[in-house]
Amino acid sequence: MKRIFIFTAICLIPLALVCKTSPDTVLIKNATIVPVTEQPIHPGDLLIKGGKIARIGKGIPSPEGAAVIDASGMSVYPGFIDAYTHFGLVEISSIASTIDTNEMGKMNPELKVAWAINPHSVHFATNRINGTTTALVAPSGGTFSGITALVKMDGWSIDEMLINDEAASIINFPMTPRETRASRLSKQKKAKIDITAKIVEKIKKYLTDARRYHELKTLSKEKGGFPPPGMNAKYEGLKPVLEGKMPVILSVEKAKDIKLAIKFAKEEKLKVIFRGCAQGYKVADKIARAKIPVIIDSLYTGPVDPEEAYDAQWTNVSIMVKAGVTICFSSGGYVGVGKDLPYHAARAVAFGLKHEDALKALTINPAKMFGIDNRLGSLEVGKDADLFVTTGDPLDARSVVKYLFINGKRVNLDNWWETQYKKWKSRPLK
Amino acid sequence: MKHKLILYIFIAVFMAIEILPVYSRGKDLLLKNGNIIPISHKTIMGGDILIKGNKIAKIGEKIESTPNTLVIDLKGKWVMPGIIDSHAHIAIEGGVNEGSESITPEVHIKDVLQPEDYSMFHSLAGGVTTVHTMHGSANPIGGRNVVIKLRWGKGAEELIFKGAPETIKWALGENPKRSNSYRPGRARYPKTRMGVEAAIRKAFEKARDYEKAWDKYEKDMKAYKKSKGKMFKPLPPRKNYRLEVISDLLKGKYRVRCHAYQSEEMLSIMKLCKAYNVKLAAFEHGLEGYRITNELGKYGVAITGFADFWGYKWEAFNTLPHNLALMAKRGVLVAVNSDSNERMRRLFLDAAKLVRFGGLTELEALKTITINPAIILGIDKYVGTLEVNKDADIAIFNRHPLDPYTVCEMTLVDGKVLFDRTKYHLEREKAAEKKKEKEEKPGKNAKAPKIKGEF
Repeated sequence: MKRIFIFTAICLIPLALVCKTSPDTVLIKNATIVPVTEQPIHPGDLLIKGGKIARIGKGIPSPEGAAVIDASGMSVYPGFIDAYTHFGLVEISSIASTIDTNEMGKMNPELKVAWAINPHSVHFATNRINGTTTALVAPSGGTFSGITALVKMDGWSIDEMLINDEAASIINFPMTPRETRASRLSKQKKAKIDITAKIVEKIKKYLTDARRYHELKTLSKEKGGFPPPGMNAKYEGLKPVLEGKMPVILSVEKAKDIKLAIKFAKEEKLKVIFRGCAQGYKVADKIARAKIPVIIDSLYTGPVDPEEAYDAQWTNVSIMVKAGVTICFSSGGYVGVGKDLPYHAARAVAFGLKHEDALKALTINPAKMFGIDNRLGSLEVGKDADLFVTTGDPLDARSVVKYLFINGKRVNLDNWWETQYKKWKSRPLK
Repeated sequence: MKHKLILYIFIAVFMAIEILPVYSRGKDLLLKNGNIIPISHKTIMGGDILIKGNKIAKIGEKIESTPNTLVIDLKGKWVMPGIIDSHAHIAIEGGVNEGSESITPEVHIKDVLQPEDYSMFHSLAGGVTTVHTMHGSANPIGGRNVVIKLRWGKGAEELIFKGAPETIKWALGENPKRSNSYRPGRARYPKTRMGVEAAIRKAFEKARDYEKAWDKYEKDMKAYKKSKGKMFKPLPPRKNYRLEVISDLLKGKYRVRCHAYQSEEMLSIMKLCKAYNVKLAAFEHGLEGYRITNELGKYGVAITGFADFWGYKWEAFNTLPHNLALMAKRGVLVAVNSDSNERMRRLFLDAAKLVRFGGLTELEALKTITINPAIILGIDKYVGTLEVNKDADIAIFNRHPLDPYTVCEMTLVDGKVLFDRTKYHLEREKAAEKKKEKEEKPGKNAKAPKIKGEF
């Protein structure tokens, strides 16, 4: 009974978290304003009106009825964009009934995560506490996993949260397996057939079939004389991908696979975004030349090969950026640590990435990657008022986000953790 | 040919001379001009540490060097005690779980240490010097664990931390419950939390019977000797290594390290241990520990857990990143551990999270990865702080260890530099150049082309 009660409580928390009423106009005063795309203003003011950023500057007078936040000593940043997550699709990663990421079968290019996202997941409320206001929610598994959605980290329903329910398609590019100590010792480690190349061939064939399907459909419509092919939902799902309208996220890790993926993208004329690129530093020039942006995976992982430097994953980011690759950060596949997004960026900074580049990779870069930079990604007049006020450097684990706004509405930063904290802090000491 | 040999010898000698200064054994080592966080005392800005042999000989400002001293100028880098990870499964050959049966204290991690596990070096590069490397959590009473120092390059025997008290792993909750898969087609007892506790009780009772049988045998032996052949010689009971360990455990030989998540089962096992007079040293993970701080404090058991890892199973769901800090503030001894070769490389960043969640001071946060785990492991007289006569296990960072951009630059174990970031990268570069040269000039030294096919 107690467990049922707790579980119900968990489910209800996100509902209670959204502010009841918040004024339409908010003035944040005396803060360091960091627009990311321009130089910081210190001290500066920022005016939010009607869900948008109305003014940025010095000494902005407070409009009538506006809520005023004195943010002296604090800084304002545009909301961070987490470029790869499973928020709302996974609640507890070992309990199958709470997981909605992996569909059966390998070819599922028509599936949309927007159909399955649970907007009341505890993870939206817990993972936004460090300033994440937008997330790309992705499916996983199989070869074609489905279509990702871009969502805002707050809303009463999925429709209120959705920015784009067709943000990108996922193709799980075959990866050369990581070498482990056991596999190194094994004599059979060199398979005679290159499985990677074979799977790529399969993907290419699938795309060709889909293309042919659409060609036939147009031909039948334009010239007539024969009936259109029977409706194929999977090929229909691939249409925007084949037309180069919807980007495709390819997960790649080793240098060899990256080279193969670059060739694949060129041949298939797809709009490709790489995810991972752990060995991107080995082929950084090639990635830059192909103009393929990269979503950095969680940096809570070791080197891919035992021969690599112990810090290869961390220096990798700055090497790619220096070579001219556009990158953005993501908290990776585990929903429980989504709040650590800025800490991944901090690791990259510790190992050579410029602080300003790290900030861009959390804001404007992913916004551009997903074509939402007209609305998000920086503090500019007219853009959505998705921003946060923090006590210090947002990449520092010791900084605290004091105010978070999504669509100009102040978001309650209480969550499942805070509820527990308040309750158990007050247990009398014996 | 001959002059080439001479050249090689020359290079070898030259390299030896180059490498010797820092790594030679005989000389004292003086770390100069660092910001020292001794943990036990106030931070010394611009201080020095003198190391003699494997011990810290002196800490303070402006320590004089003698001709016999090697000096490393730290130029304002941050110095702290080597990080101690009180729960990990590093340097273990093969599996960490003897999951075929639910009570397996006869197995010992000491027997399967794998000194070539390169994640040891990765952890050294994260400032870690001492690790409690443990049996897994499949069994209510699992195997015995071992405390090692990351003496990278040494053999298995030499990794072991001499003087560290022996520990044994227990596990409650979901892991022992779902560990039936080790025996395909046949379920293993227990399957419930009730069964987990019953399995431990049963093991205790068996061990007591075993002790009694031996006591009786010894008594009978005495009587037999006295009887001078008038009695039959008594037969000894059958040796049972499993019960012998549990018998030793009941006599207090081992520090019990009990994997537990839920507050209820922690309370229950504390009652059980009280009844059998067994001392629990620490609960591992303890994600619901924040609910029972009063009880934990009263019993005097520590918690070693994650800073904020959660939500991966039901018993890990009812928690919060404030857990450890909340417990620390309410009088429980807590430590941050990794339980992962990867997380071990960044324990200092996890410690920083306790400042943010639950509001520990920076010193308190650093204690959770240094002196606190040392106390839990019973090795606090050797390591955990920078104090005179303690082991010279030292981690050196380019910034304050809780700074988000900090990088570990050097790690010393027993007064020897086992990780030096600058040197590490220089050596890698040299090796890469050499490899390149070889590839570009396939002259005399070129290898014969590989013949395809397998033989």
